[in-house]
Amino acid sequence: MAIERVSPGVVKVVPNKLSVSERLYIPQVLAGMVLTLRHLVKNLFNMKGLPTISYPEVKRVYSERFRGRHILTTREDGTTRCVACFMCSTACPAECITIEAGEDERTREKFPQRYEIDLLRCIFCGYCVDACPEDAIYMTRDYEMAIDTRARSVVGLRDLVVPPNFPVEPMGWRPYYGSIEKHGTAGGTGVGQPKREAPFADDAPLNPDLYRGA
Amino acid sequence: MSTLTKFSAIPYTGPAPTNRKPYVPADVAVHDARGAVLAEKLQQSAMQQETGQDLPTFIVDKAAIVNVLTALRDHPELRFTMPLDCWGVDYPRREKRFDVLYQLYSLQNNERIRLKVMLAEDESIDSGINVFKGLDWFEREVWDMFGIRFDGHPNLRRILTHEAFQGHPLRKDYDPAQRWLLTEKDVAQLTPVIDDRFKDVDTDFERVTLNLGPSHPATHGTLRIVVTLDGETIIGADQEIGYLHRCFEKMSETHTYQQVIPFTDRLNYCSAIINNVGYCLTVEKLLGIEAPARAQHVRLMLSEFMRIADHLVCIGTNLVDMGALTNFWYLFQPREEIYGLIEACCGARLLPSYLRIGGLAVDVPTDFLQKAQRLVDMIPKYIDDVEKLVDRNKVFLDRVVGVAPISPEDAIAYGFTGPCLRACGVPFDVRKSNPYIGYETYDFDIPIAEGGDTYARYLVRMEEMRQSLRILQQAIDRGLPEGPVMVDNPYVALPPKEKVYNEMESLIYHFKLIMHGIQPPVGEAYFQVEGGNGELGFHVVSDGTKNPYRVRVRPPCFAIYQAFGKMITGQTIPDAVAALGSLNIIAGELDH
Repeated sequence: MAIERVSPGVVKVVPNKLSVSERLYIPQVLAGMVLTLRHLVKNLFNMKGLPTISYPEVKRVYSERFRGRHILTTREDGTTRCVACFMCSTACPAECITIEAGEDERTREKFPQRYEIDLLRCIFCGYCVDACPEDAIYMTRDYEMAIDTRARSVVGLRDLVVPPNFPVEPMGWRPYYGSIEKHGTAGGTGVGQPKREAPFADDAPLNPDLYRGA
Repeated sequence: MSTLTKFSAIPYTGPAPTNRKPYVPADVAVHDARGAVLAEKLQQSAMQQETGQDLPTFIVDKAAIVNVLTALRDHPELRFTMPLDCWGVDYPRREKRFDVLYQLYSLQNNERIRLKVMLAEDESIDSGINVFKGLDWFEREVWDMFGIRFDGHPNLRRILTHEAFQGHPLRKDYDPAQRWLLTEKDVAQLTPVIDDRFKDVDTDFERVTLNLGPSHPATHGTLRIVVTLDGETIIGADQEIGYLHRCFEKMSETHTYQQVIPFTDRLNYCSAIINNVGYCLTVEKLLGIEAPARAQHVRLMLSEFMRIADHLVCIGTNLVDMGALTNFWYLFQPREEIYGLIEACCGARLLPSYLRIGGLAVDVPTDFLQKAQRLVDMIPKYIDDVEKLVDRNKVFLDRVVGVAPISPEDAIAYGFTGPCLRACGVPFDVRKSNPYIGYETYDFDIPIAEGGDTYARYLVRMEEMRQSLRILQQAIDRGLPEGPVMVDNPYVALPPKEKVYNEMESLIYHFKLIMHGIQPPVGEAYFQVEGGNGELGFHVVSDGTKNPYRVRVRPPCFAIYQAFGKMITGQTIPDAVAALGSLNIIAGELDH
């Protein structure tokens, strides 16, 4: 195609005039095959540079901001950070979070008696993480959430809560990517504390430089 | 788990809105003055100017609407020839309950005008379909959503909802928790109107009516086309849409302003960030704020990447429909890389929800510009490969040249925008005509082509990708402006997390904003951006509460797809498939 200037800021795309050989179909078809064959040969000698990966043996590495399955973080004493303030369920556009609050008789603090996320309703927008004032909900880089029944799509506290000092490494979308530490209350987010072995072995980055976030 | 409890049947009974300030557009004086000039020129007694709006706005008597539309179209100096949009708003407490709004555009003067007709519940309005062909589906949509009758409309059927649907969903007194079941016996039997050219022609063939879709591999989405064939020639066609209707507009009314952003992703999911940009800019206009320079720069760059991705998908799938599978692989590789960049910014690929009203959700990664530069260096190679494969290939040219053409006059009258309009030779691009987020400072050209056929649309899209790369190279060379990516306004932006954790004041703002949302001043604003398919407009009405009173989206392919039946009449089924791919109909956007 050729480009002609019509007026300032406007160009006209003019179709090609075909030569006689081009009008005979075959030469152009052959030329196209030469191009694809060149790609084939190039790829045969550069198998490592292929854009496709052999999932599930090889997994795609996503950035540190990846919005995957949620977790609820814990304080050092093992209690859930969540104080059942309902901010995440209010901010959720898909209305997929159900919370029932309870009160700790000893400390008089609120905590979630029931905390359920319906992963089939969830749209993984990350609004719950943005809304949380307690550093309690993060999203991980876990994206394999296939289930065989609808009932299993609802995950509760048992599936969501992680042990204290859960490493930041396999996490995805979280406030400030671990650069800020929460002061005041007990425990931390895991920043600056000894790292545990990653619970999801699949999340160990293959090539950390490739799809890294900040 | 009941998730529907948050929906409330209007009239609104909650606490009184706290923000009762009226919205005053920034350039209100300009529009009011221009409105006065327009009124002077038109000399229509049925038009009354409404001042204080973000466009020259007129309230029109319902009896005179056809006359006013004709006068606006035919006025030699004004020439409002393009019907951009027609939509409704419901105010149940008002004596005249409905507003029907029209927005027209004048290519000659590059200006817009808004007309408003007020109607009571039992009143009907004359159809403007004889003035502007493009009002056809828009009027059907208003009928479907509000139950406003358009007298003289030849085909006033439901369009987005189905035949067994009861009531009109965008009325404020409609309860959205109701469910309507469509059974097989209720499905409409469409019989396409046979085109005049073929009415009296007697051929040897039996006339057959054939259903294409809604689940057909060549329709790329849930579109249903019913064609009447005479031999191999299509002599009449009708389209049915609405299979992917998700009530975007009604859902927006029950969610806060920030919560609407993930819904906009799902409009044109091939270029989701452009939808985010359009919606955020509209609400920012209503709030009278502007995102920081860094955020605007990122918005512009990602918009252009998304435009390229959109065109890659369109051309790639279009060529697959014609049997050229190799191109699909060549074009989807750069698209994959673009999604990698988006994912590095916000953690999701197809539906990023990256923008927030007032800026961005988070700052871009530190190596954002390097990644962008890598993409800009890489993409041309793939486009060139495809060009080498098909551009001089007679097999391809035979399939596309002269297929489903549309004349510039028809395209304008149907409300075409974007690449499909530019393929007819009309240089209309919102980035040039109404520049936003700094497009006026970039050096780029609008590509046009001649013929308005499938081939012209292919040529325009190919060149547009190169122009987008030009913009991106300039944007990378300028570098990212330093500074924050979110406005410093606690009524719009969530405070930084460190302050929320450690300061009482910020925690209060954080709670207020999540619980009570952003509350823009009372009023309405329209803003348009250039989407992958054309002008993507958002009209947001605020009543001062945390939920938008009305969000109207003007999806570009809605206007384009209504002409499809006319475009393929006289062609064959394989031509129709090729033409459909070149229009880039995205069902998510088409069906709201």
